[in-house]
Amino acid sequence: MEYFAGIDIGSTAIKIAIVDGTGRLVGHRVSASGSMFYKYAQESLAQLMAEVGVAPEALRYTVATGYGRKLFKEADENISEITANAIGARAAAQEHGEIKTIINIGGQDSKAISMDSEGNVVNFAMNDRCAAGTGKFLDVVARNLEIGVDELGEYHFKSTGTPLSINSTCAVFAESEIIGLLGNNHRVEEIVSGVHYSIAKRIVKLVKRVGIHEGIYFDGGPALNNGLVNAIENELGKPIFVPAFPQITTSLGAAVLAWESYGYESGEAV
Amino acid sequence: MNARNDHTIETPRERQGRHKAMEAVKVLDTLREYAVNPPEAMAYFYELHRRYHCDMTPMHEGKTKVGTMCIQVPYEVIDALGAAPVRLCNGFYTDDEIGGEYLPSKSCPLVKATVGAFATDHFADTPDLVVTPTTCDQKTKATGIVEEMGYPVYEMEFPRVKESEESREYWRRSVRNFTKTLSKELKTKLTRGKLKASIRKVGYAQTLYHRLNALRKAELPPISGNDMFLVTNAFFFDKTEAWSAAVERLLAEMEERVKEGIGAARKRSPRIVYTGSPPIFPNLKVPQLIEMADAVIVADESCSSNRLFNDMVSVDEWFLYDMVDAVADRYLKGCTCPVFTRNDDRIRRIVELVKEYSADGVVYQAFAGCQVYEMEQRSVLAAMEKEGIPILYLESDYSPSQLGQLTTRVEAFVESLKSRKRRQ
Ligand code: SF4
Ligand code: SF4
Repeated sequence: MEYFAGIDIGSTAIKIAIVDGTGRLVGHRVSASGSMFYKYAQESLAQLMAEVGVAPEALRYTVATGYGRKLFKEADENISEITANAIGARAAAQEHGEIKTIINIGGQDSKAISMDSEGNVVNFAMNDRCAAGTGKFLDVVARNLEIGVDELGEYHFKSTGTPLSINSTCAVFAESEIIGLLGNNHRVEEIVSGVHYSIAKRIVKLVKRVGIHEGIYFDGGPALNNGLVNAIENELGKPIFVPAFPQITTSLGAAVLAWESYGYESGEAV
Repeated sequence: MNARNDHTIETPRERQGRHKAMEAVKVLDTLREYAVNPPEAMAYFYELHRRYHCDMTPMHEGKTKVGTMCIQVPYEVIDALGAAPVRLCNGFYTDDEIGGEYLPSKSCPLVKATVGAFATDHFADTPDLVVTPTTCDQKTKATGIVEEMGYPVYEMEFPRVKESEESREYWRRSVRNFTKTLSKELKTKLTRGKLKASIRKVGYAQTLYHRLNALRKAELPPISGNDMFLVTNAFFFDKTEAWSAAVERLLAEMEERVKEGIGAARKRSPRIVYTGSPPIFPNLKVPQLIEMADAVIVADESCSSNRLFNDMVSVDEWFLYDMVDAVADRYLKGCTCPVFTRNDDRIRRIVELVKEYSADGVVYQAFAGCQVYEMEQRSVLAAMEKEGIPILYLESDYSPSQLGQLTTRVEAFVESLKSRKRRQ
C-alpha cells in the first residue's frame, strides 16, 4: 500500500494527516509546535507513522503547509494553507454535501475562504494583525477566568443573562476589559458568552467580505468549542458544519494534495 | 461537552434583540462602574432603560403610539388626543449598521439607526403613526424610506428660517393641520380641557427638570451629566406621570445632597457644557469619555436633553386654537437646532450656559455625516474664542470601537482645563 502525508506547521500546533492510495484518511496527529518546529515535526511524523503502521518506504509523497512549511525540508512540495484548507474541507465534508465557505480560526489568525463547486479558492479574507479573534485569545480568556479552554463551551450554554460585550478590538485591551468585568462581579457565564459573541461578530465581518453562501464549514482548534460554534451560527443566522476533527483539515488537504500530486507526477513519468 | 444539536439558531429578530441588549447593558454597567456617589433615585432610570431596551417591555400598551422622528413634534397635542408620543431618534450601533443598507454610508448615524429600527421593526412600542418634521435634510429624506417600508408617515412641514413672521405663521399652520389630521385619525375631538391638562402635565415635567438643572450650578454638582442624559432620554418613551414622579424623588435626593455637599464629581473636576449632535441612549460615547476623564457635564445644549425642556408653553388666551398656536410657538422659538439659516440663538444659549453654570469649557460633538452640526462648528468655535471659552470639537459616530483617538483628545482637553483652573 502507498501512503501520503500532509503536514501543517502552525504557530501553536503541528498537525499531520496520512491518507492511503485511495485518498482515505488513515491517521492524524496534533502536537504542540514548541520552539523547534522542524525537530518536532519530524518526530511527530515518525510517531504517527509508527502508530498507524506505515513503513518509511511506503510513504510516497509529503506536502507541507502552514507558517513553518518552508522549514520542513523533507517535504516534496509545499502549498499555502489557504489552498490546503480548501482541499481538506472538501475532503472532510464529503458526506455533508457542498461546501462553499470556510471559516477557519487558528492559533493566531482567522480567515474566511469562499470556493466554487470544484473546490477552487475564489476569494479569501484574513485577519492576522491581532490576536483578539483567535485561539490564542480564547486561551488568554480562559486563563483570566481561571477555567479550562475546554470548559468555555459549557459556560457559554449556562449563561442566562445578556452576554457582556467586549468592545476592544485589541487583545491586550480586551483582556483588561474582561478583568474589569470580573472585578464588577459579573458572572463568568455571561463573560464567556460575550467573548464568544465578540469573536463571532468579527468572524462574520470577514465572512461577509468573501460572501456568505450556503454550505459553511468551520474548522481550526477553536471549532471544538461548541459555545463559539453557537455564537457564530447565531451571528450568521445559518447552520454551520463542524467536521469530526476540525484541527486537521489543513493537513488533510495537504495529504490529499500529496496523493493527487504523486498520481499526477508518476502518471506523467510513465 | 454539550451536544451540538441541543440549541436552535436565533431568528434575525432575536439576534437584533440580543445585540441591542448587549449594547445597552454595556453602557449601563460602565456608567455604574465609573459613577462617583451615584444617587439612589437613579435606580428607577437604570431599571427603566434596561426594561425598555433589553427586555423590550412596552410602556404604552392599549394606546395608539405616535412615533416622532424629532423633538419638534408637539408632544402636548398628541397627549391631549389620548395617544402616546414616543420619540424614535435612536442611539443603537446595531441599528445604525442595518440602516446603512438603506442610506448612504456617510449619512448621520442617528438617522441611519432610526431607519435601521424600522427596517427590522424592532420596537418595544411599535408606532402606529410616524411623524417626521422636515428639519435636517437627512430626517426629511428618511421620510420616504420609512414610508416605503410600509409605515404610515405624516410629514410635518418645518421652516428653516426662524426669525420671520412668515415662518412662525407657516409653522403654526403646520401644527394646526397636524392637530386636525391626528384628531380625525384617532377619532377624538381635541377639547380645551384636554389640551389644557396636557400643557399642564408637560409643563410640570419641565418645571421639575428646570429645578433639577438649577442644582447642577452648585459647586459640587449633585448629579453627573450622563445620569442626566439617562433622565432626559427616559422622557422619550416613559409615561409622563411616571417620569415626573421619579424626577420628584430624584429632586428631593439632590436637594439633600447639595445641602450636605455631596457631589457626583470632585471639586477639581472641570465643568463642561456639552453641545452638538444629540447623545441618545445607548450612544453616550462622548459624554462617557468626558466624565471618565474626570470632568463633569454641568449643562448641555442638545435636542436629546436640554432643548427638550427649554421653553414652556405660554398661553395668553385659553381658547382652543390659541392654545394650539401657543404650543407651536414653544417648539419653534425654543428650538436651537442648527438646521436654521442662522444660529445666533444657539450660540447665545451656549455662552449663557457656560456663565450660569460656571463651566470651564465646552465640548462640541458632531456626528460624522451630520452636515448642519459639522458646518456650525465654525461659527460656534469663533464665538467661543471671542468669549475666551475653551472648546473642543470632536467628530464621532456610533461604533463602539476606535475610542483610542477620541479618548486621548478628550483627556488632553480635560487636563488643559485642570491646569487652567490651577493657575487661576
Ligand atoms: S438634531 Fe435637529 S433635526 Fe435632529 S432631532 Fe434634534 S432637533 Fe430634530
Ligand atoms: S444629528 Fe444632524 S443629521 Fe442627525 S438628525 Fe440631528 S441634525 Fe439631522
